[in-house]
Amino acid sequence: MLKIIIPTIMLLPTALLSPKASLWTNTTTYSLLIATISLQWLNPTYFPHKNMTPWTGIDQISAPLLVLSCWLLPLMLLASQNHLQQEPLVRKRTFIVTLTTIQPFIILAFSATELTLFYISFEATLIPTLILITRWGNQPERLSAGIYLLFYTLISSLPLLVTILHLHTQIGTLHMPTLELTHPLLTHSWTGTLSGLALLMAFMVKAPLYGLHLWLPKAHVEAPIAGSMLLAALLLKLGGYGIMRVTLLMGPLTDRLSYPFLALALWGALMTSSICLRQTDLKSLIAYSSVSHMGLVIAASMIQTDWSFSGAMILMISHGLTSSMLFCLANTNYERTHSRILLLTRGLQPLLPLMSVWWLLANLTNMALPPTTNLMAELTIMIALFNWSTPTIILTGLATLLTASYTLFMLSMTQRGTLPTHLTSIHNSNTREHLLMTLHIFPMLLLMLKPELISGVI
Amino acid sequence: MAAGAGGRSAAEAYRPNRYVSLPAELDPAAYDASPEKRRAEAERLAIRSQLKRQYQLQLNDPHRPAVIEDPALIRWAYARTQNVYPTFRPTPKTSFLGAVFAIGPILFWISVFKADRDRKEKLIKEGKYKRPLSLF
Repeated sequence: MLKIIIPTIMLLPTALLSPKASLWTNTTTYSLLIATISLQWLNPTYFPHKNMTPWTGIDQISAPLLVLSCWLLPLMLLASQNHLQQEPLVRKRTFIVTLTTIQPFIILAFSATELTLFYISFEATLIPTLILITRWGNQPERLSAGIYLLFYTLISSLPLLVTILHLHTQIGTLHMPTLELTHPLLTHSWTGTLSGLALLMAFMVKAPLYGLHLWLPKAHVEAPIAGSMLLAALLLKLGGYGIMRVTLLMGPLTDRLSYPFLALALWGALMTSSICLRQTDLKSLIAYSSVSHMGLVIAASMIQTDWSFSGAMILMISHGLTSSMLFCLANTNYERTHSRILLLTRGLQPLLPLMSVWWLLANLTNMALPPTTNLMAELTIMIALFNWSTPTIILTGLATLLTASYTLFMLSMTQRGTLPTHLTSIHNSNTREHLLMTLHIFPMLLLMLKPELISGVI
Repeated sequence: MAAGAGGRSAAEAYRPNRYVSLPAELDPAAYDASPEKRRAEAERLAIRSQLKRQYQLQLNDPHRPAVIEDPALIRWAYARTQNVYPTFRPTPKTSFLGAVFAIGPILFWISVFKADRDRKEKLIKEGKYKRPLSLF
């Protein structure tokens, strides 16, 4: 573990002290090296739980997320090179420092064995993300986006802090392997119910659950590309991961408490998929599709069966990669047309045929085409939900149908159709962009061959 | 034009209906335009040609801007994305829509899931829950 965390922290001096000519090269290759070292965590010889240091440990539901977070940092650096080209050197360094500050906190969050440490690192990822969105976003709406992100997360996590401290005094420890051995503390009283709600709410806002998702379209749309990738691929998964960890504390409460969350998550998946069909903003469409997929993850995490956790894990990883890739593709559009309006970014297939291959692949994985891992995940979740309660199949089936329809809508709007008349020339896709897309799709294709790596079971 | 079946002329056979509006060539009123209509047409033509002139000025400018913006499109996109909440007002229609599509279905699905789960729990407690795919 130290061989990942110490290099990640050392990435900060690298970004601050590298000479100008090799700033991007140094940071990108260094983070790629850290990412390849982190792949060793996928090796399943140490499970069910490997204690690496007294405060961090991995098991099979945190290992894939850790590898994803390490893998994404070089991709974020690759994606940001273009829009930072014109900036002075100091600002480039500041940007890279902000990005790399989030990294150790995310690694700590996913590998924390103590619930308090998880909470601290969960909150600590907020500040650099806020800086990223409000400083480097492109539109004046980024200020309200930052405020929504900050206050939604903070308001919902204050009860979480109170409940964590209260549980610590009651149980005596919050070490997660030990917690599995204690008897459940929460009862069906008002105190117990409110404690359970408080434990869950912060992660429901982060995941996001349908009623609490308002920060997400704003934050995703106004963030720069690295911020969008980070949010979509990692910070949302913090919410899903938190729900999985916290429900082991909640004992008998989930019998009653799971109903509203399940209904909100599944109906929200339907509603946000339908909103996607009416979007005019490309990034907003991808953001709402994130809400839809994470709704399925929340629903699966609330029913707490083996299969549903496994499906939620696979969906989190595959959605992380797919959503990040879609945001990168939307960003390549944005860098050329400086507009996110769908009507203005049409007809790209004759113009940029190689990029349209990546568009096609990203959209095919987004709509859960067999044999991608997205399909494995969605099927597992649908079956687990069906076993839990039969009428859920209506909601999940409709959600899958609407997902396919808005994905095809996005594909046909951006690739086919009349060419934009107001543009005279667009730059050809460069190797950096193709490399970025390759590095996104390559893990997804490989994981198709061995999905046990991310499926959360031994 | 050849007379159709029943001896109707083309103008009588092809009246506008719900799916198809009358094309301008078949509309007799297109040829005797009243002065108000002609003034309105002239105004619309003036607006269109001004917009076209602005567009072509930018298009043929030697120092052309990289992207020629359409202000109408920008206003439309702004109205659809960022101006929704400030222009929202609770009316009977919007309250009804919110209740039917947001609050109602949540309560409905909560009750459906709870009823189904309680039914299953009762069957399990009575020992009557069939598990046809069980491995035991």
